[in-house]
Amino acid sequence: MTTTPTVLDGPSGAAPAAPSPADRIPPAPRKRRTRPRIGTQAFLLVLMVAFLAPVVWAIVSAFKPANDIIRDPLGFDPGSFTLDNFTAMFHDVPIAHGFLNTAIVLVVKGAITLFFAPLAAYAFAKYDFIGKNLIFGAVLITLMLPTIVLIIPLLLEMKTFGWVNTYQALILPGSVDAFAIFWMRQVISAVPDELLDAARVDGCGEFGIFWRVVVPVIRPGLAGLAVLTIMNIYNDFVWPVVAASSDRMATLQVVLSTLAQNITGNRIGADYATVTGELLAASSLALIPLLVLFIVLQRHFINGILAGSVKG
Amino acid sequence: MTTTVLPSAARPRARRGGTRMRRRIAPYLFVLPFVAIFLAFSVYPLIFTARLSFTNWHGAGAAEWVGWDNYTYLLGSPAFWSSLGNSAVLWLLIVPIQIVLAVIVAVLLDSAKLRLRGMYRVAFIVPFVTPLVAVAQIWVVLFDQDHGAVNALLGLVGIPDVGWLTTSAWAKPTLALLFLWKTTGFIVIILLSGLQSIDRSMYEAADLDGASPIRQLWSITVPLLRRTIMFAVVLQTLAVFQMFAEPFVVTQGGPYNSTTTAGYYLYNHITRADLGTGAANSFLLVILVMILSLFFVRMLRAKD
Repeated sequence: MTTTPTVLDGPSGAAPAAPSPADRIPPAPRKRRTRPRIGTQAFLLVLMVAFLAPVVWAIVSAFKPANDIIRDPLGFDPGSFTLDNFTAMFHDVPIAHGFLNTAIVLVVKGAITLFFAPLAAYAFAKYDFIGKNLIFGAVLITLMLPTIVLIIPLLLEMKTFGWVNTYQALILPGSVDAFAIFWMRQVISAVPDELLDAARVDGCGEFGIFWRVVVPVIRPGLAGLAVLTIMNIYNDFVWPVVAASSDRMATLQVVLSTLAQNITGNRIGADYATVTGELLAASSLALIPLLVLFIVLQRHFINGILAGSVKG
Repeated sequence: MTTTVLPSAARPRARRGGTRMRRRIAPYLFVLPFVAIFLAFSVYPLIFTARLSFTNWHGAGAAEWVGWDNYTYLLGSPAFWSSLGNSAVLWLLIVPIQIVLAVIVAVLLDSAKLRLRGMYRVAFIVPFVTPLVAVAQIWVVLFDQDHGAVNALLGLVGIPDVGWLTTSAWAKPTLALLFLWKTTGFIVIILLSGLQSIDRSMYEAADLDGASPIRQLWSITVPLLRRTIMFAVVLQTLAVFQMFAEPFVVTQGGPYNSTTTAGYYLYNHITRADLGTGAANSFLLVILVMILSLFFVRMLRAKD
């Protein structure tokens, strides 16, 4: 204990140096442990508060009486806790229907993406076939296209099929998107060929190799893709608002985007406070499913992105 | 490429014709569902847009071929250029700040010794998983001039009310703030993945030389992270120039068109059923975005 094996690890050198007035001198490696650490924590804490504040504020305010939200936006009196904003919002806005539509699209579209994207990516990563480079080049180009470029013709296509305001329109376009293919190809490329060949020698069929060898190995990347896909579908807005904006087909995000009109439309003379209260209640409710999902799966999500993103 | 002769293991496989045949056909079957969806909902619409951009079609009746008229109209239109200008200003307000902030946060979070590291990682990604439309609505309430929490907070330190969403000077910064808040956590995660591939021993060597943390950040981390940083810049450039939902929900492009971004201006053509001009506009946007991406990739190459 008395002697430290190397100068670098020992705390002995740091102790006498600490109180010296030579703060301007470039600090020695050992010294910068303590002071910048406090600075680091303070910086990260402030940033964290800034990142969480809007969400926390919205959820807390949703439980305040509507008039208090605009009269005193910063205060919160637990004694005046109320569910009025929520009951009024459920009365004025078809939000339950929005949740249902989003859930249906989420399950079907999510399943299509999570099955067919890795399958195609597997072919791109591990096989040679005619047209491979051409198709993959096209995938890369689509990655750069603004989604709005496709909106007009897609809408016309939906009209031709008679699909406007149907689930098909919400589900099929973009269901196996270029990003998923690109990302999964990166992930599957890292799977060693020997593993696939060994399975082949054992008499495994080509699909069997994918299903029983590749899928289990890439599970972390797949979990990341799952979270990202769920998020994208849940949050998708531009396409649903164009292709399926009828009351019957509106997804949660479309319902949210028309909140203000809905509230004022259903209540003649609805004042600003009422609208604000219902708006915050609806927004908080929409935040919660993804927040819960993310907090439960956060490790998979972050590791999934780490596993799949482009390496420097 | 695959000409290296595999020892013995490869041979018996070759004799079993069925397996080989299946191996040849399999990839086509695997990509088929994707290719079908891709052709129907990406390639076909794209070709359709290209043709549409040379017509004056308004969604019904016969389309009239107008040659390059839509393109020359847009290139001579002040509204088109001002939409690009608005997006460029937003880019300047967002991307440089975001990259610097994300690099600093990622480097701090990368240290295994940092306390509460897991908590910070979760907290910073929370905005990214919140639905944009919900958050945009919250932004409207938060930044309201008379009743918003932001002005109330600033009022505590004596700053008079700011018209965040009602003046053209402040509307862009307010939208930029929403975008920064929403996406910075994701950029941090991308940069963290780049940091993972940096060899730790470089820092140990720098430590021995007595290089300060800031010096290490500038001379080791940033150069080695350059590719990942550029990837993030390209990603965010695409996102900023396509920005649509933010102005749609928060400002409806106003006040005085100050937040009519390139993406929102494009949407205006669609609502007016001016489909030919809209198609031409989208192609001009694609070309611009591709030029910008190539420019950043070039910058990356030049330094390599």
